[in-house]
Amino acid sequence: MRKLGVLVFLVLSFAFAQKVHLMWSGAITGPTSDAGKYYAQGVEDYCKYANEEGLTGGLTIVCETRDDQYNNANTQRNFEEALERGDPAFLGYSTGGTLQLKPLIQEVGMTYIPASYHIGNIDPPDSDYLFLPIVSYSEQVIALLEHIAKEKPGAKVALAVHPSPFGRAPVPDAREAAKELGIEIVEVQEMAKGLDYTATLKRFANKGVEYIVYQNVAGPVATMIKDARRLGLKIKHAAAHYAGGPDLLRLAGDAAEGVIWVTSYYMPYEDAPGAAFVKKLGARYKRPADTVESVHYPSGMLAAAIAIEAIKRAHAAGKPVTGDAGREAVYAEMLRLSFDPGLAVGPVTYSEEDHVGVDHMRVFEARGGRFVPISKPFQSKLFRKVHYGK
Amino acid sequence: MSYFLQLLVSGLVVGSIYALAALGFVLIYKASRVINFAHGQFIAVGAFAVYALAVYLQLNVWLSFGIALFFTALIAYIVEKLFLKPLVGQPIISVIMVTIGLASLLDGLIHLTPFGGGNFSLPRFLPEGGVSFFGVSVSYPQLLAVLLTALFLAGFGWFFQRSTLGAAMRAVADDQMAAMSLGVSVEHVFALAWAAAGITAAAAGFIVGTVSGINLESLVAIGLKVFPAVILGGLDSIPGAVVGGIIVGVLENLATGYLDPLVPGGGTAEVFPFVILLLVLWFKPHGLFGTEEIERV
Repeated sequence: MRKLGVLVFLVLSFAFAQKVHLMWSGAITGPTSDAGKYYAQGVEDYCKYANEEGLTGGLTIVCETRDDQYNNANTQRNFEEALERGDPAFLGYSTGGTLQLKPLIQEVGMTYIPASYHIGNIDPPDSDYLFLPIVSYSEQVIALLEHIAKEKPGAKVALAVHPSPFGRAPVPDAREAAKELGIEIVEVQEMAKGLDYTATLKRFANKGVEYIVYQNVAGPVATMIKDARRLGLKIKHAAAHYAGGPDLLRLAGDAAEGVIWVTSYYMPYEDAPGAAFVKKLGARYKRPADTVESVHYPSGMLAAAIAIEAIKRAHAAGKPVTGDAGREAVYAEMLRLSFDPGLAVGPVTYSEEDHVGVDHMRVFEARGGRFVPISKPFQSKLFRKVHYGK
Repeated sequence: MSYFLQLLVSGLVVGSIYALAALGFVLIYKASRVINFAHGQFIAVGAFAVYALAVYLQLNVWLSFGIALFFTALIAYIVEKLFLKPLVGQPIISVIMVTIGLASLLDGLIHLTPFGGGNFSLPRFLPEGGVSFFGVSVSYPQLLAVLLTALFLAGFGWFFQRSTLGAAMRAVADDQMAAMSLGVSVEHVFALAWAAAGITAAAAGFIVGTVSGINLESLVAIGLKVFPAVILGGLDSIPGAVVGGIIVGVLENLATGYLDPLVPGGGTAEVFPFVILLLVLWFKPHGLFGTEEIERV
């Protein structure tokens, strides 16, 4: 009888708990859906888990994942719908969509957490309400350049970037950092999807390039790495977050051996609580192995965890969590948010001046078909120097 | 010199993959005057069929490829019967719109399978490395691409020139009314043209998957990327598809090799073939090998 009473209480609490909607808009289909699909699953699963485990402070968070097909117009439509409904925060995705929405985000004052780690998202103007979950692309690429400078002082480097704002994002900072590090950026090549990169690689080889740093997606990088191996080139490869990971290993096979990669997330096979948590959620919600192995799955979880934590704290402070007042309250919490969901290699900390959540990353190297960490979690001081001048 | 030779050979290899993918466009257009904007989706169906058979059912890759050819041909045949057949005799713009809708439909259906998002790789079935000659290197998957393209071209060449069905298809392409008066079933020919295009699409998907991995967006993009090759060669010409594909492949490589260093950021491979395409079409509006149609009024 007592059990029944508890059950009735739980059901009633759930039914009468205040509902707060949280929308994610990203590419479940269309370009980059190879990342977006898993990111969406991460958002969904963390949201379910938080509701089921009572991590929402008595609220019911209704998470919605919307497929915008990597189309900015769809992202804007979804954002406006969330705004009209009174959502207190929004989870975004693409670089293009985020940059385009910046003035609107600033105007309406909605906390916005994108999957794009473009530093321009949080650079002025119109950047007050934008928060990156982990370190920016610029910091990732500079970290790779620092690694290269240590390994081979004076190295000749080529940047192979995606032909989009996403790809071009770190180029100016990388050029500045290279000067500081005494390494030479020989060429910056925009690299679209292709079937063969022989011409580019031969050109790089003729110019004496020793390292290629990729700010791209895994598909083209895998083809380029395989082509370099076929051509017998002694060039080393280094990839920023979206250019590497398990997808790269799957596509490039043995050719990926020795590739350097930088990210703030754990790999599922690591002996770390964050990795165990990702596996636990994957098993609990019956996700296939490719989801659990994907680095985009914990990325989606982290974005959802950040938004839910801010909403929960605003609610705990007795503030409204929907509508105009809800947006203000959640934003105020974001500016003093400091917690460690354990999903990445450092805590999430934001402030008025700091809109980067996890400030640490690690360098990995592909060994025996796995990315193995070869550094402790670190921040790039050089990034702060070249980007902020401090 | 070896640099130029390498660019040329790599261009030929990529061009032969384009040619194989372009063949499907031409087969359908040649028989029915329909431009199939869903061709990229058929390429994806072929690639994913090979993957599913080879990985999930653990069949031999070559056997998987054979079954995938048949499967994709069957899908294309059914699609023609369901969606295109009712449109025989309707304005061409309606038919084109149907193929665009078909592309969205197939995209959506593929997204309902595990293959919608994600990157996949076929089990290794070719040795590592490749062959080298005069300082030029070609990988085994690339070599396979060239061989398969040559094989398919020879096969279709023989089919159109020597077989009764091929002759019937040529007759329909030439004059539908005349072909019908000779007892050729135009509807049957149309469906067979789609099935044949399905075979070439599956072959192209298999090759692209072997060379650069399997990803829905990339495969669909190949289907559209070969469009300039088809226009360049002539929409209704099989040799034109081959020549057009190879020209586009070679131009892309030469542009990357020689023009990219002159342009900050590079990326001229995406533009240069189109510049050449415009110039060619200026002088030869029906493409290099396309049939020039003269209407007398």
